[in-house]
Amino acid sequence: MIKRAFIIGSCAIMAFALFGIFNAKAQTAAPQIKIEILSPSQLNGTAGDFVTVQAQITNLGTEPVSNITTYLSLVDNETKMPVDLEDWSVERGLFIGTIDAGQVLPLNWKVHFVKAGNYSLIIIGVVEGQDKPEVSTLTYFDVAPKHNLNPGMVLPVALGEPIVLLVIMLLVISRRKTDE
Amino acid sequence: MWKQIWIKEIRAGLYTWKNMVWLLIASILFSFTSYLLLTDKELSLLDQTELMWMLGQVIAGVGLLVVILDASLIITSEFEMETAESLFLAPIRLSEIILGKLLASLTLWLLVFIVAVPYIFVASAGTRLLMPYLIYMFFLGTLGIAGFIMLVFAVSLLFRSSKNTLSTSLVILLMLAVPALFSSTLKNNSAAAFLSKINPVDNIFGSLDNVLVDFQLSFIQNWKFILPLACFVILMFGFMFLSMRIFRKKGVLFQSV
Repeated sequence: MIKRAFIIGSCAIMAFALFGIFNAKAQTAAPQIKIEILSPSQLNGTAGDFVTVQAQITNLGTEPVSNITTYLSLVDNETKMPVDLEDWSVERGLFIGTIDAGQVLPLNWKVHFVKAGNYSLIIIGVVEGQDKPEVSTLTYFDVAPKHNLNPGMVLPVALGEPIVLLVIMLLVISRRKTDE
Repeated sequence: MWKQIWIKEIRAGLYTWKNMVWLLIASILFSFTSYLLLTDKELSLLDQTELMWMLGQVIAGVGLLVVILDASLIITSEFEMETAESLFLAPIRLSEIILGKLLASLTLWLLVFIVAVPYIFVASAGTRLLMPYLIYMFFLGTLGIAGFIMLVFAVSLLFRSSKNTLSTSLVILLMLAVPALFSSTLKNNSAAAFLSKINPVDNIFGSLDNVLVDFQLSFIQNWKFILPLACFVILMFGFMFLSMRIFRKKGVLFQSV
């Protein structure tokens, strides 16, 4: 009986100890930064437009935080797939060397609406050495298509130029024959 | 003397069906592409700058193809029409002959570009990118095409046969143009990324994308594309120079196998 109580007691102590270790680890991994998108949660535009996504990063801790990488993540809501940001934003990531305790830094991204559709955007901040990234709230993009860019002007050029070239070609050839 | 050769080649080219037909074909291709890009329901969903970039790719591609086809015959035809002896044994330096013919081939690119100008105007209507589009299209095209002409001339002087020169040049163009059309996802691997960085066709397309889609308009913002292109031109100049030396050494009457 005493032996059983001793084993149970030991297990309980070990469990508390393990919980304490994990809890401590979780506390060190807890985010000290906060990322907020200041722009409206819904941004509308037409394909080809540019918008600036305004955000800010705040250090909520009592000590400076170094080596923070912030980047955009864009998901196409129709295909449920992430979008390659190659043409959407020249600056895909912003690196912050150090942010002091309580300091607030602006994060601005110029985003180019490349393709029509519905998208959701988040900003992710990863602090070097921390396991858990900090994520902003979602901002939605509603990009309208740009139809028939230039139907009026393209037809005369598309039809006219080959005809003009053909006429020039025939004139040059006939002139050459006359010269001969 | 190079001026006379240049003018002679232009006259020979423009007074025959050969080059005029190429210009007409180029124009039909540009018409088809621009009409499709600007009016097709699916394609017109793309951003205008993307359409301009796609048209730019077509212009550069057609320019490269037309000029390479012409340059493949401009030297080798002298051997096949048996005018090589009188030309190369005349008191004209080989470098002057080559310069005259190089300028004639570049003039053909200039004509292709002039044919493309109205399409560039139409495609860029409503944007502020007309001037950068024209400048970069002409500059990148001239740089890339000059390199390819030198390559073709070097091959011509080595092979002295239009069939071999044409097939070799087209295979090289195909080898460089096909990977340039791969998406950026396919270029993520380090070998593909390296090849993409040194590929002249890729650099032309990449710089146009940088200017038209990403609005990186200054030359400094495009140096990573222009520098490899310039290196390609210098390398091809060196190759052409070497071929000229081999050609001189072997003599005009040497028959290649």
